[in-house]
Amino acid sequence: MTVIMDTSSGIGRPETGGGSLEARNISAWFGSNKVLERVSLDMPANTVTALIGPSGCGKSTFLRVLNRMHELVPSARLNGEVLLDGMDIYESGHRITETRKRIGMVFQKPNPFPAMSIADNVTAGLKLTGTRISRSDREDLIERSLTRASLWKEVKDRLKEPGAALSGGQQQRLCIARSLAVDPEVLLMDEPCSALDPTSTRRVEETIHEIRQQVTVVIVTHNMQQAARVSQQCAFFLAESGTPGGIVESGATKDIFGSPVDKRTEDYVNGRFG
Amino acid sequence: MTMLLEPAEAAPAPETVIEVPRSIDPALPISDKVFFVVAKGIGISVLVIMGAIGVFLGLQSIPTFRRYGFSFFTESSWQPENDVLGIAAVLVGTFTVALVAMLIAFPLALSAALYISEYAAPKVKSFLISMVDLMAAIPSIVWGLWGFFLLQPKAIHVAHWLHTHLGWIPFFHVDTDPNAAPWAQSRYAASAFIAGIAVSMMVLPMAAAVMRQVFSQAPIGEREAALALGSTRWGMIRTVVLPFGRGGIIGGTMLSLGRALGETIAVVLIISPAFDIKFRPLEIGTSTVSALIAGRFGEATSAQLSALLTAGFVLFVITLIINTLAATIVARSRSGANAD
Ligand SMILES: Nc1ncnc2c1ncn2[C@@H]1O[C@H](COP(=O)(O)OP(=O)(O)OP(=O)(O)O)[C@@H](O)[C@H]1O
Ligand SMILES: [Mg+2]
Repeated sequence: MTVIMDTSSGIGRPETGGGSLEARNISAWFGSNKVLERVSLDMPANTVTALIGPSGCGKSTFLRVLNRMHELVPSARLNGEVLLDGMDIYESGHRITETRKRIGMVFQKPNPFPAMSIADNVTAGLKLTGTRISRSDREDLIERSLTRASLWKEVKDRLKEPGAALSGGQQQRLCIARSLAVDPEVLLMDEPCSALDPTSTRRVEETIHEIRQQVTVVIVTHNMQQAARVSQQCAFFLAESGTPGGIVESGATKDIFGSPVDKRTEDYVNGRFG
Repeated sequence: MTMLLEPAEAAPAPETVIEVPRSIDPALPISDKVFFVVAKGIGISVLVIMGAIGVFLGLQSIPTFRRYGFSFFTESSWQPENDVLGIAAVLVGTFTVALVAMLIAFPLALSAALYISEYAAPKVKSFLISMVDLMAAIPSIVWGLWGFFLLQPKAIHVAHWLHTHLGWIPFFHVDTDPNAAPWAQSRYAASAFIAGIAVSMMVLPMAAAVMRQVFSQAPIGEREAALALGSTRWGMIRTVVLPFGRGGIIGGTMLSLGRALGETIAVVLIISPAFDIKFRPLEIGTSTVSALIAGRFGEATSAQLSALLTAGFVLFVITLIINTLAATIVARSRSGANAD
């Protein structure tokens, strides 16, 4: 059990154990268009949950509901509860910034801060949340976060270069390092590998594998092999024509892929859909 | 891989062929051709008109520069009847009015732009945008009248207060006793300060519009990245929006500075002309290049006219330089790179 920093800052949480996340009856709208209907899913601590399903069925929307990014869209509304370690994150007493710090997010398109150096990108989360850190702790944190995102070896001699100078795959791993640096309990990943080559994809998958001990991971992916490789449990989303999206079937990954109960799940995971 | 490459590498060098790039005829449809020609013609005529103005003013200035030489820039008084004239005082006055205008307009424009692009709810947003646009549509004579009749009676109190409390700073000094009884209407009126406030209202909409547009172009991905890390909205603005919009902030400010330097009618209405070099904007009396031209144009003889046109030429060159700098800064910045 390694304590990184001053515990009072909230960042000193031991690096073991992610948070458990539970979505209860989530419905979501954009304007009057209902895109999710009463979706419930349990995402236990320290498991990797994969969300799969055809395009437009509401996976990204569901993911963004989980760390309150959904409400950034002006017309967006929602109903239901999201429990992080048993507490509803939409309860009025909860600070939205604190919630987002505890539930990190990696986006489909790599989005490092292009003008900041690689090192500053990694510690951007600390700066943005007003967390002070000593110089030596900062260097440790940069090295450790980049190592966890398996990027350290490639960039250790160029930490002062701007984040935009990296390749797409490296940028995505930098974004993962940046999210890990604030030590989240949950990490949400929305198709993190869709812009990456097979080698970088492999690296990200290894990273997911390693951080699973400390962080609960929820990942959206269109790649069935990837879902099978990285996740322990899996949820299949579907929005049948004209109806809001929902979960058709969820359970252990080996069951979803090996012996799905629902015919539609079986068709989808075997690539026989539409 | 290597197997495939080796034969190619080992192959004898092919006989040298002189390659000429083939011509690619774009074969534009007629409508495109017409549009292209018309657009090009209009574009060129804009440049020609600008150039013609510059050449005309330049030619008109030659006799004046011949006659007065460099003293045209160092002489402060404007007395064509005694054959002494120069633009030192009016240049200082021009920059003082513009400086006051920018000191007021910059923070207002920046906060208005940030509020509109980052905080306002969608409905409020479009309302505010049209209000700012409306503000730009108010004729400058109206701003002048506003400044003279409505602003001045209030602003002299502000000027008096600034003098009383900050008078030890030369910039806020006024050559009078702040505690003298009938101070109102006397030494604080008709000043560069009051003219500057009126000018600031005129340049504010343009600065705010340029800034708002670049702020709203800040990439959504970076904004969301900052927020997803647990940033407050202000933290996100500081790390994403402001660095991204820096070119627009500088460019918009300089564009409005260019306009503030040339503003005429509002200044003429408000100031009382004075031709001494001073940096005391709160004090009565100043003059600007354009106010000088407007004031003396009617009664000028041909030699005086040439001198006034020379003053105009100097102003033209200064604003041209400032606007070119502004355009370069906007184009070099990240936000302007793909905006043109
Ligand atoms: N900002 C938005 N405004 C309005 N409607 C939206 C918005 N974002 C998504 N939607 C709608 O919500 C539905 C679900 O979209 P979502 O992005 O969650 O799908 P997805 O499962 O992530 O698809 P993909 O696999 O293509 O990423 C879609 O019908 C989409 O049109
Ligand atoms: Mg999506």
